[in-house]
Amino acid sequence: MKSLVIIVVSAGLAALIPFVGSEYALSFTVQLFVFVALAYSWNLIGGYAGYTHFGQVAFFGVGAYTGALLMNAGVHWLLAAAGAGVSGALLALPLGGAMLRVKGPFFAIGMFGMARVCESFALGFDGITQGGTGLYLTPVTDLKPLFFVLWAIAFGMVALTWKLDNSRLGIQLLAIREDETAADALGIRTTRLKIGTFVASAIAPAAVGSLYATYLSFIDPATAFAPMTELTTIAMVLLGGMGTTFGPLVGAVVMSVVNELLWSRFPEIYLALVGAVILAVVLFMPRGIVSFAMRRAWWWVPAARSSLRRLASRPTPSRSPKEAH
Amino acid sequence: MHVQRIQTPPTAVPPPDFASMADTAERILVVEGVGKRFGGLIALSDVSLSVGRGSITGVIGPNGSGKSTLFNIIAGTLRPDRGRVFLNGHDTTRASPAQICRNGVGRTFQVSRLFGEMTVLENLVAVAHGASDAEAVERALGLLDFLEITALRDKWGTELSYGQRKLVEIARALMLRPTVMLLDEPFAGINPRLQNRIVDHLEALRQRGLTLFFIDHEMRIVLEICDTIHVLAQGRVIAEGDAAAIRSDPKVQDAYF
Repeated sequence: MKSLVIIVVSAGLAALIPFVGSEYALSFTVQLFVFVALAYSWNLIGGYAGYTHFGQVAFFGVGAYTGALLMNAGVHWLLAAAGAGVSGALLALPLGGAMLRVKGPFFAIGMFGMARVCESFALGFDGITQGGTGLYLTPVTDLKPLFFVLWAIAFGMVALTWKLDNSRLGIQLLAIREDETAADALGIRTTRLKIGTFVASAIAPAAVGSLYATYLSFIDPATAFAPMTELTTIAMVLLGGMGTTFGPLVGAVVMSVVNELLWSRFPEIYLALVGAVILAVVLFMPRGIVSFAMRRAWWWVPAARSSLRRLASRPTPSRSPKEAH
Repeated sequence: MHVQRIQTPPTAVPPPDFASMADTAERILVVEGVGKRFGGLIALSDVSLSVGRGSITGVIGPNGSGKSTLFNIIAGTLRPDRGRVFLNGHDTTRASPAQICRNGVGRTFQVSRLFGEMTVLENLVAVAHGASDAEAVERALGLLDFLEITALRDKWGTELSYGQRKLVEIARALMLRPTVMLLDEPFAGINPRLQNRIVDHLEALRQRGLTLFFIDHEMRIVLEICDTIHVLAQGRVIAEGDAAAIRSDPKVQDAYF
């Protein structure tokens, strides 16, 4: 219940920004939503299933190029984003089948390599992608529709993660994270689940990549496959709390705000300061802000995976209904 | 340990009756001529044994005798080089662990493999396949109650003591409503009181019609509760029978006592 209230209130407040905020606030929030969608997608495979990796930007970049090419072919930007999402899933399916056979650092670095391969393709196939010159798109005049599409994707991912966190599917993913061999021996269909999760975690990044291209009205390999995008996303999830419903949201907001504040005030040393902030959080809250708060059990912090506990605390049917109340 | 020395000629282990392998009314699990080697090391040379439906069957043997290898082959985590494994009359030699598990085999592990960052309740509910959430929770609570560990319900896997983990692993394996339970050293490293508690629970499970198959070093318990005992040494079954037969078998005494 608390979770639902938090989701609805934060989504409602965010939806007010185009009407009360400045052009700058709108632009800032658009970028924030991009990162929220990326962080939640990474949280699915990295946080829940435990397959952390450095290659999510591959889907973001491929989505950006798919979307940009579709838009240049005259497709509406919204349809292009949907097509980009499909392209992400189509890329993730064979990639997941091949890459998810390896675990830990091998998977993490292997995926990083995949992102670099995709970047090389974008550079190399200059007949289609214009190589390093990049693709130019018709600039959008009004940011509001783009804002609301990204708003829907970002909070859709929050709601989806909340549903997952309270479902057996989510618990089975955590079981894979905790001990895949044991999960497999106990009948959890690990291969199917992790490939499915990997594919699901590629859709939003690809769609958002296309929307980001729309927002910039330009895309080139360095922007589409920027390692900085990858690292920022992962830092947000780690900062907020991996494998939690609100970790990526908290991480994305905290990091974006801190980044923005420091960048405008201390332009020379802001990156060092961001590093110091991350270091402090990792030292004092190693499992992230949300996990830290959940451990403290403050009243306003929603418990993780509360639905099962609620079911377990239900009065047993043997008791009479009067006693139950 | 007091061992009766009865001077009887060593009875040869009767060869498995392959003609009645399909007869699954009595034998829920049949291992037929299984061999496995790791490089130059022969872990199992030629092991055949069967487990009676509703029985408590134990496998004992010194370290390195191939017990764990046999267990992992039955559970599907290892593939044998030769031989076959039948479960309920179906050949499961090449089946995956998940398939074998879904065919009614629940297992526990030698070294605890609880999901650490999950609560005990979540550990149990995660493996309840095919049940609704409410059913799964109901089943989990019933099992926690049965094993008298309801108090552990909301504890994290990492918080539990060694003995508690063993009990929770048994509960988790029971979530699958197995017909056979494979218990990998359920009594190793826990105090005698808890050992007796586990024995009581295993007896109660057998009363419910479950077949229990386990490996352990704990001679006292194995001889006490098993209907049939198979003794492994150097990758082969050197003796099988009830406790009295095992106690008096000179080959076992050579290998073990």
